[in-house]
Amino acid sequence: MTPEIETFPGAVTGRKLLIWVAGLSLALIAVLLLCSLVGQHGLKSDIWRLRLCRGAAAAVVGISLAVAGLALQALLRNPLAEPYILGISSGAGVGVLCGLALATYLILPKWASSSMLAMIGGLTTAVIVYAIAHRRGKLDPYVLLLAGVMINVFNGALILVILQFTRPAEMINFIGWGMGKVPEWIWSQPALLIVSAAAVLLAWLAIFARGAAFNTLGLGDAVASSAGVSVGSLRIQTFVIVSLMTAMAVSLAGPIGFVGLIVPHVCRMLVGPDHRLLIIVSGFAGAMFLILADTLCRLIDLWTGLGELPVGVITAMSGGPFFIYLLRTRRGGGVQ
Amino acid sequence: MSDPIGHILTASNLKFAYRVGANVLDGVDLNAAAGKVLCVLGSNGSGKTTLLGCLLGQLKPTAGRIELDGKAIKSYSPRQRAKLMAYVPQQPGTAFAFTSAEIILAGRLSHTGILGLTSRQDQEIARAAMEMTGTLDFADRMLDELSGGEAQCVMIARALAQQPSVMLLDEPTSHLDIANQLKIYKMMRRLADDWGMAIVCVSHDINLAARFADELVLMRDGRVVAGGTVEQVIDREILAETYGVQIDLIDVPGQTVPIVQAR
Repeated sequence: MTPEIETFPGAVTGRKLLIWVAGLSLALIAVLLLCSLVGQHGLKSDIWRLRLCRGAAAAVVGISLAVAGLALQALLRNPLAEPYILGISSGAGVGVLCGLALATYLILPKWASSSMLAMIGGLTTAVIVYAIAHRRGKLDPYVLLLAGVMINVFNGALILVILQFTRPAEMINFIGWGMGKVPEWIWSQPALLIVSAAAVLLAWLAIFARGAAFNTLGLGDAVASSAGVSVGSLRIQTFVIVSLMTAMAVSLAGPIGFVGLIVPHVCRMLVGPDHRLLIIVSGFAGAMFLILADTLCRLIDLWTGLGELPVGVITAMSGGPFFIYLLRTRRGGGVQ
Repeated sequence: MSDPIGHILTASNLKFAYRVGANVLDGVDLNAAAGKVLCVLGSNGSGKTTLLGCLLGQLKPTAGRIELDGKAIKSYSPRQRAKLMAYVPQQPGTAFAFTSAEIILAGRLSHTGILGLTSRQDQEIARAAMEMTGTLDFADRMLDELSGGEAQCVMIARALAQQPSVMLLDEPTSHLDIANQLKIYKMMRRLADDWGMAIVCVSHDINLAARFADELVLMRDGRVVAGGTVEQVIDREILAETYGVQIDLIDVPGQTVPIVQAR
């Protein structure tokens, strides 16, 4: 180190980032291991393995939601953006419900599991929203936001219509999915877990590589473009990656609210607004938050014996009031 | 470089229309040279902003040609273009709560690798840009905590961090008091004189432009009414015709350029 060259505290260097990644990786592994020890039967190896898989699935979903939320906030320059605003979760809901409703009349092929149908429904909605907001090779952020809101309303109505034709017994299944749960069955499908984890890591890296461009995008399209950002393709690429991440999270765990909103905000307050650092920190924080929330669900079941609460209940109940607190105390949690 | 005079940014017979038959730019020529300040003046709606949009590569001209460093501007990728040409907007602002230093470091984007990480060299160049613009003192402050003049200096430093050969500025002093207006124009002068940069500045302030620019371009209805040295353009009749008001030219002792005043 040469002392005469001072460095800026805000500079995100490779070294600084490596230290963060190493530290947070250790923290994530520690949280995963510790939480896998919590619960009945303590350390019995097969149950431990089951809990470890479930924790890993929670991590995958948590990273997806947090990173997708952050990327969307950067893309739309709107601190209130959230993955579900694109209509992906409601589209996934339609997919799942269609499957359940059809299953009462005919025998569906084996691939049409509810997570696969959720994926199809979610991505279909994303494509529709994209087509609405895409004009002359560019993605209009405001139209994107409005299209997402509208398609959510439409899908909500569609869900009500399908529910009308669904037997009450099947309705229970849908309500179970719709509440949002970390999949406890994931241990029986290790291939799905590995593929999901690999896909999420790739998407996370792809979003990270766009962090510096997101920073510049905050200065407006004209400045960003003059500084070397291909604004149009950045929007389109990010939208596609975010859609895939969200659809995967929803298909695995159902709609889990607030992770994509709360986690990036809290991280922004902790490490500042630089997206390169924020994307890394938010991903890890999302993973840890969802593992902890899911563990809390199991603990509450253990203490009360009333059965497991959906993890979406925990995230919404802790996230909602916390978010209002943020809105009241900090102007948008560090976003101007 | 294709041009023997050292024109680094040239536009020739530039036309642009948002819809067919209504040309917002109708055959504009412009030549910016290294080490020179060029100010684009003109009435509201004369096409100055559209011209800037074309020069920046944001609008596609319907006819004509723009060359940057001897090559058609559309042949550059945004990243390549950013290394040669930077832009300072009319109003500074960012959607995220960045400090001045972070904003200026973000100017290094086109020089970074695929992960966009900041190197030591990036920090040195950002520091030099901050020294030049006098923004080191508020490196740790947010943009919205600064005065308008300070914030505009940060935006110029950010553009400077791109290490461009050309800097385009869109009415950079329109929100500033007279002291800060003077400061920004003096800074543009220094960038041209000491850093050899080509400066293209869209302006509404005829007097400051006339005092600090080497060349003026006067626009009206999408055409260049007059272009050339300050003496050629600061003419009572030309200005009166362009702006549609009567003009007085008032000589100031000790200054070569008269003050322009609308009657």
